[in-house]
Amino acid sequence: MSTTLAPPPRGETTQRPGGAPSRRRSTRLPKALHFLTFGAPGLAVYLVFVLVPIAMAVGTSLTNRNPANPPTKWVGFLNYTRLFSDDDFLKSLQNTLVITVIVTVVANVGGLAIAMLLDRRGKLYNALRAVFFTPVILSSVVVSVIWQAILSDDGLLDSMLRSLGVKHPPGWLSNPDYALYSVAFIITWQMLGFCVVVYLAGLQGVPQELMEAAELDGAGPAARFTNVTWPMLAPALTINTVMLLITGFKAYDQVQVITNGGPGNGTTSTVAFDVVQTTFTGNHIGYGSAMAVVMLAIIAVVSTVVLRVLQRREITL
Amino acid sequence: MNTLTPIRTGPAKTSWFRPVAALLVTAVFFLPLYLVLANVFKPGADITAHPVSLPIPPTLASVKAVLTRPDHLFWYGLVNSVEVTAISITVLTIVSAMLGHYLARAKGVMPKAALAILLSGLMIPPSVILEPVTDVLRNLGLMTTVPGLVLVNVGYYVPFGVFVFMGFVKTIPIELEEAASLDGAGRFRTFWQVVFPLLRPASASVLIFLGVWVWNDFLNPLIILGPETGTTVTVGIYRAIGEHQSDFGAVFALMFLATLPILVFYLAFQRHFVKGLTGGATKG
Repeated sequence: MSTTLAPPPRGETTQRPGGAPSRRRSTRLPKALHFLTFGAPGLAVYLVFVLVPIAMAVGTSLTNRNPANPPTKWVGFLNYTRLFSDDDFLKSLQNTLVITVIVTVVANVGGLAIAMLLDRRGKLYNALRAVFFTPVILSSVVVSVIWQAILSDDGLLDSMLRSLGVKHPPGWLSNPDYALYSVAFIITWQMLGFCVVVYLAGLQGVPQELMEAAELDGAGPAARFTNVTWPMLAPALTINTVMLLITGFKAYDQVQVITNGGPGNGTTSTVAFDVVQTTFTGNHIGYGSAMAVVMLAIIAVVSTVVLRVLQRREITL
Repeated sequence: MNTLTPIRTGPAKTSWFRPVAALLVTAVFFLPLYLVLANVFKPGADITAHPVSLPIPPTLASVKAVLTRPDHLFWYGLVNSVEVTAISITVLTIVSAMLGHYLARAKGVMPKAALAILLSGLMIPPSVILEPVTDVLRNLGLMTTVPGLVLVNVGYYVPFGVFVFMGFVKTIPIELEEAASLDGAGRFRTFWQVVFPLLRPASASVLIFLGVWVWNDFLNPLIILGPETGTTVTVGIYRAIGEHQSDFGAVFALMFLATLPILVFYLAFQRHFVKGLTGGATKG
């Protein structure tokens, strides 16, 4: 380390407390100050608006808090034991998992297929890629309204089917057997473009020499895909899967706007929807908090496992 | 026919097959969007009668009706949306770039633990913790205020920002920072003048994604801003559906106008953002 005294560089606002003559390297902030300026602001807001609410939810879930029915009392694990015999909640849980699995699998597979179709340079392919990405920019409220206009009983699709001679076209959103899959389909449609764009970026990062070498070694298109392309797409798969899991787990807007949980009793209700209904509409804040905690626990397990598995694939590359 | 040159038939066949298939698939995918675009510029009566036809001649009647609503729903919503989105994403970009850089470069157990806790927040559905969030806001006196909503956005999206920035910081050689530091630059100068400009693709992805998500957010503004402070354009669409269920012209025009600003914003930044999202991950 140099011991020459040097004037602090111009523009430096930080000096040693006490105005000690600063040596060249002393203009660096001490460690604690470094944490306070770079690390702390983000962590503090995260603490106050994510971690503290989670802790509060855990606490509230052990009470019978209900603003319409005071006083709030400690009830232990009663809410949790009730939850696991609550058919409506179990149905919401099941619906959330069905939506998440469909969205994650279909958008990944479809996105990869379309990305491989569009993996060429030129104005045409750029334009087509932009079309696929457009729904990603749209609000899920907008997407919900569009698909409602298409899939409702007097919507475009069934009107068209009727004019083609189909007497009783399916009630895509009004039939309890189809409604959940329609919601999953709508979310998939919106997220498809995201996967297309990320896979395209991955495909364009596959070195041409690698493909040519494989071809010279006699690898057919299928072998080239499984042995060269697919392993190279590992990071893209990670990004897409994480994003799709987030989207599936939080499915709320489409249910609120399109089906309001119906048709019938909670056939399309998701956990996110159930929590909001129970806490805000039903005032059962204690019970709703228990739902929230169960959901958070499931997400913690799934995200840990999925990230581990996906990142291991990236490393072994 | 051409069995003698099997290698050549492949490319020859795909030369027409690929563009045609790509166009067909895209056309099917695009139909729902076409539906909105066509009907925004059609007189109300034509929408139910000929929903799929082209808007010839186009009319701006529906758009004008939304812009001149006596309750100014669109304009009030627009002001709120711009304010909330602009402040949220500016703060988020600065805060998560600095935190991402800090966590990417820091060594030791504490930063590792902080990172793990932060990233575990990536998948939390906002609606699940919304009730306690409103309790926190009420205790801070920030319920039904724009700063309250901004802080909630910052807290909720900081994991995503850090995730993107951290991956990207790792691709920047640490020697660059050491050189700047040897030249006498402090941590702030090194970060803002050397590192941050190199993070431009990551900043673009963070700005685009968070901009789009905050702009399109529906439940948080609905509950946190509430009816007193007015609404955002996205919440405005939700309210409009309830008001005129049958008037597709008005709803489509409002959706079109509400999307236009964020679409322009996206187009302005889109050149960089895919690289920002994948650049870090491929080398992380």
